[in-house]
Amino acid sequence: MSPHVQSELLAAYAGGEIEGARAYSIEAHVVECADCQAAVARLVEPARMQRGWADIEDRLDTPRPAAIEAALGRLGVPGHLARLLAATPSLSVSWLGAVTVALAFAVIAAHESERGLLLFLCVAALLPLAGVAAAFGRGLDPVFEIAVAAPFSSVRLLLLRTAAVLPTTIALAGIAALTLPGVGWTAAAWLLPSLGLTVMSLALATYVAPSRAFGGVTAGWLAIVVFSAIDAGDRLAAFDSGAQVAFVVLALGGGIVLALRQDHLDLGRTL
Amino acid sequence: MTLAVKAAGVHKRLGSTHALAGVSLDLGDGITGLLGPNGAGKTTLMRVLATVLAPDSGSVRLLGHDPADREARPVIRRRLGYMPQEPGFHQRFTAFEFVDYVAILKEMTARRERHDEVRRVLDLVGLGDVAQQRIKALSGGMRRRVALAQALLGDPRLVILDEPTAGLDPEQRLRFRELISRLAQDRSVLISTHQTEDVAALCHHVVVLRDGETVFAGAPRELAEVARDRVWLADERSAGAELSWLTGDGRHRHVGNAPPAHAELVEPTLEDGYLLLVGRGSLAVAA
Repeated sequence: MSPHVQSELLAAYAGGEIEGARAYSIEAHVVECADCQAAVARLVEPARMQRGWADIEDRLDTPRPAAIEAALGRLGVPGHLARLLAATPSLSVSWLGAVTVALAFAVIAAHESERGLLLFLCVAALLPLAGVAAAFGRGLDPVFEIAVAAPFSSVRLLLLRTAAVLPTTIALAGIAALTLPGVGWTAAAWLLPSLGLTVMSLALATYVAPSRAFGGVTAGWLAIVVFSAIDAGDRLAAFDSGAQVAFVVLALGGGIVLALRQDHLDLGRTL
Repeated sequence: MTLAVKAAGVHKRLGSTHALAGVSLDLGDGITGLLGPNGAGKTTLMRVLATVLAPDSGSVRLLGHDPADREARPVIRRRLGYMPQEPGFHQRFTAFEFVDYVAILKEMTARRERHDEVRRVLDLVGLGDVAQQRIKALSGGMRRRVALAQALLGDPRLVILDEPTAGLDPEQRLRFRELISRLAQDRSVLISTHQTEDVAALCHHVVVLRDGETVFAGAPRELAEVARDRVWLADERSAGAELSWLTGDGRHRHVGNAPPAHAELVEPTLEDGYLLLVGRGSLAVAA
């Protein structure tokens, strides 16, 4: 056995002042030497020792985070927010799988005809909306009631989840759009309607139950798509440049309404 | 001292139903049992007091604050524990992860302290050993204890438990009573239940709701006194009684104003008082 570590050096080691190779070298001796272990035990403050044990206990007790939670953590999302997002129904593997399948069928249809292209645009516009609707609501979030009664703002939770669900679903729809056959910018004509419909639904949810808001906006918009196609004699009339501008205006207006009336969601006036 | 709950003339409509029709309620420290038949408005009242639903009219003050006030609401919610009637769970979470999730919603962001608190409440309800099991693998009784554990996070001053003993076997119910009676010191606990035995065994106060209105508020023994001189045992069934049933010893117990022939007046129980208050009509609706 090598000679004992000098007491000054051991005190510095116990105080956490020595790092790197030097610390490893002292540690290699301490784990083999009962006298130095006893000396370190005397030098380390009980409170620090307690904190160290608690840290170890915590790491052993805490379960490994689920895949989505771990992925969010790697993206730099703080642990507590990652856990809130991981519980979002529309960020689950099964939901994202269903979105992918729906988009795949819509892409196949779009390859077949202009009617199929219309179907793709509608599906791509509505999937982000459905994802946001599923992210927070009495019927879909099983912990909804407990969440509303907690101090973490329901509106903040809704917006947090919206901020996670929208890019995820839009990214999937965007990848699907890239595979469409030579339709140019029309392949992206679902994007602004999607944002406009989502913000409008959220704003409407401050007046009526979210399920009614999302359902009503979806049904109303699909009716407009059908009627405008018949009226203009153009299947894609609801996605033309005028409609794109209208959706930007709707998104801005909806955002203002949501900001002004957010308290109605937090106190469960419409939930 | 500030009352935990002070509600006056609270109305709430749910669709075409007048779920709360002018409920008034004052709750101090101790355990209060909320009794009433199905459809009496218990769950709606619980939701209003848990700040999940806003009342249509009337005044509600919780822990001295108005929940309609945007600034005061988080202050109330930080000191409030709520277990809904049908607590939902993210099934893929373990018991630890689920309670941890609710702890985050309760603004416990520091990881170590939060995890210590999650362990504390899971130990409190006797689930420390199954903390790492998935919720979907737990029994119904254990799940209710997980739901109770989340309601106790942060040592809340006001605890609202909507039918916490539903689905528990007799042993679990006894354990629950033991736990709640220990917790009730220095805080206000409101429990809604169909079990008059729970109220008799556990509660310091009792409130009875019928058709969205408060029809009784007082001590459990006062509820029993409502039926004083109106409960009889007799060998024959009486047509004039509000309620009458054959007991295990072969005699008929009558509750109501009209005594049957050759009846023996008996000491009323809390259940007798409750049955008289809610009446045959409400019980028929409940059935």
